[in-house]
Amino acid sequence: MPSATNESDAPKTETAVFKVFIRGTIDAVWREITRTDTVQTCMFNMRLDTNGLKPGGQIRMRSKDGKYTGVVGEVLEFNPPHKYVHTFLMTQLDDPPSKVTHELKAVTGGVEYTLTHEGLIVGTKTAKQATQGGKLIANTLKAVVETGRPSFGVRFLYRLIRVLQFLTPKRCRSENWPLDKKI
Amino acid sequence: MLPDDMDAVFQALGHRDRRKILDLVANDPGCCAEDLGPHFETSRIAVLKHLRVLERAQLLVSKKAGRKRTLFFNVVPIQLIYDRWATDYRAHWAGKLSDLKLRIEAKHHAERNERKRRA
Repeated sequence: MPSATNESDAPKTETAVFKVFIRGTIDAVWREITRTDTVQTCMFNMRLDTNGLKPGGQIRMRSKDGKYTGVVGEVLEFNPPHKYVHTFLMTQLDDPPSKVTHELKAVTGGVEYTLTHEGLIVGTKTAKQATQGGKLIANTLKAVVETGRPSFGVRFLYRLIRVLQFLTPKRCRSENWPLDKKI
Repeated sequence: MLPDDMDAVFQALGHRDRRKILDLVANDPGCCAEDLGPHFETSRIAVLKHLRVLERAQLLVSKKAGRKRTLFFNVVPIQLIYDRWATDYRAHWAGKLSDLKLRIEAKHHAERNERKRRA
């Protein structure tokens, strides 16, 4: 499928791809992107809340204290430890949901991790943030699996996010995004 | 990133036509190899060879779409280069500034003690 679909009245969409080679096991990488026991260091230090990581299951990326929800979605495909596909909606914005695919492939000496974000409407804030975010996620995932922690710059960014959490708009409060509300 | 991973990235970036390919793909994500041909005077084979070098360095990612292969620019290797140096320098200067702060505070403290002793 080409990245830009040109239906005359449908908005133009684009795809962003992020790929990184990680020196580690495929299970270690899979664990980082699907863990629910602690915050996900590679995903902006957010906590993954879910009612089941299987097709149809709802996912919520919430702040560490659970007060705020940044991203919501529904699992479309869950095939450990190779493929995880889900819809993606930023609670702060009014953009329609897009689709995120995580693909893991064991190669000599490590894992190839590919993050594909499809259906981003050109020019929206979601498209802009996904482009910034994808880069950070791929990069931080590599750092976390290889060295046990994010880079200095990312750790600094996370501190900043925590300090500024009180500025989060009311619409992102978790009570507005329960797990039983279908996205 | 091991040194040889970065070798592939710098080698890939070290050619004018390959940098131009990255510009073209970044501006038109999901385009095909055939779309790139008209932008170059070299043969189609040469362009395909450049694509292979870029893909090996992970600067390009290709995806199967029916019978075609679509191309996407991957910024991550460049971000890793940036982080390797820029972040270190930032940490370096942050370190220098905190040293400066400690030295000034120590000096201030010493002067105050000196004044107290004299009084």
